[in-house]
Amino acid sequence: MGRRRAFDEDEVVHAAVKLFGGRAYDGVSVNDLVTHLGVHRNSLYKTFGSKRGLYLVALRRHLADDVGPLADALAGAADAADALRLVTSADLGLLVLAAVDRAPADEEVAAEVATALATLDQAIADALGVPAALAAALTAAALGIRLRGNPDGVGAALARHLDPLD
Amino acid sequence: MATVRIDGGELVVVMEGLDKLWAFKSSLTIPLANVRGATADPGIAADPKGIRAPGAHLPGVITAGTFHLDGEKVFWDVRDASKAVVIELADERYSRLVLQVDDPRTTVALVENALR
Repeated sequence: MGRRRAFDEDEVVHAAVKLFGGRAYDGVSVNDLVTHLGVHRNSLYKTFGSKRGLYLVALRRHLADDVGPLADALAGAADAADALRLVTSADLGLLVLAAVDRAPADEEVAAEVATALATLDQAIADALGVPAALAAALTAAALGIRLRGNPDGVGAALARHLDPLD
Repeated sequence: MATVRIDGGELVVVMEGLDKLWAFKSSLTIPLANVRGATADPGIAADPKGIRAPGAHLPGVITAGTFHLDGEKVFWDVRDASKAVVIELADERYSRLVLQVDDPRTTVALVENALR
């Protein structure tokens, strides 16, 4: 018979999304998790199995809570500039970090990231009525703009050149 | 120190040198189906370990053997906490194993890859 969990799993996973979304996987120690998530080490292992187990749960939560709604919003994008603005202003920290930090080393993470990006591509393709490859290029450009910084300036400049698409 | 290997569908942990004496165990064999994951966790050595029975615990020197904490049994074999790996189990005598291994990163990858 297991003891009752003395923590809110939902809150812990939400905090893990923030923590893993702001720092590389190897830069987050179990001590960091215990400190920031307010959960005992033993409970953490018992509930999630391992640090990677918690990471996968957090990544899937991020995709459901942040990337899913973004795809819904993209479906209503009026034009390419609107789509770029939606992607560059969304909370995608963990998705971007997962793509560069963990996906190359973890097939399961790579598959989750690929599915999420494909969902965004499809939403853009459907909303703008453009070919899938062009929608993928728009997603890539938007994520690149996020990494580059100054999303408003760079995004606006790109959007002006994309006007003919609309 | 312990060595960890995957042998068919099983995780095999072998205690090395005198550790098999302190730990009261020379090896453990766990079906992979009962292994939930592995994590490098140098910070765990600073946590409360519970009540030891049987085994050895000289704080700061060696923690080896079976420890009872919060209704769980945890197997420890650690001298150098910087090389500690936690292997979480299900439906086993031990809830988790805390082992010192030569290369925590490689051991974690070995176990996690075997579970995928």
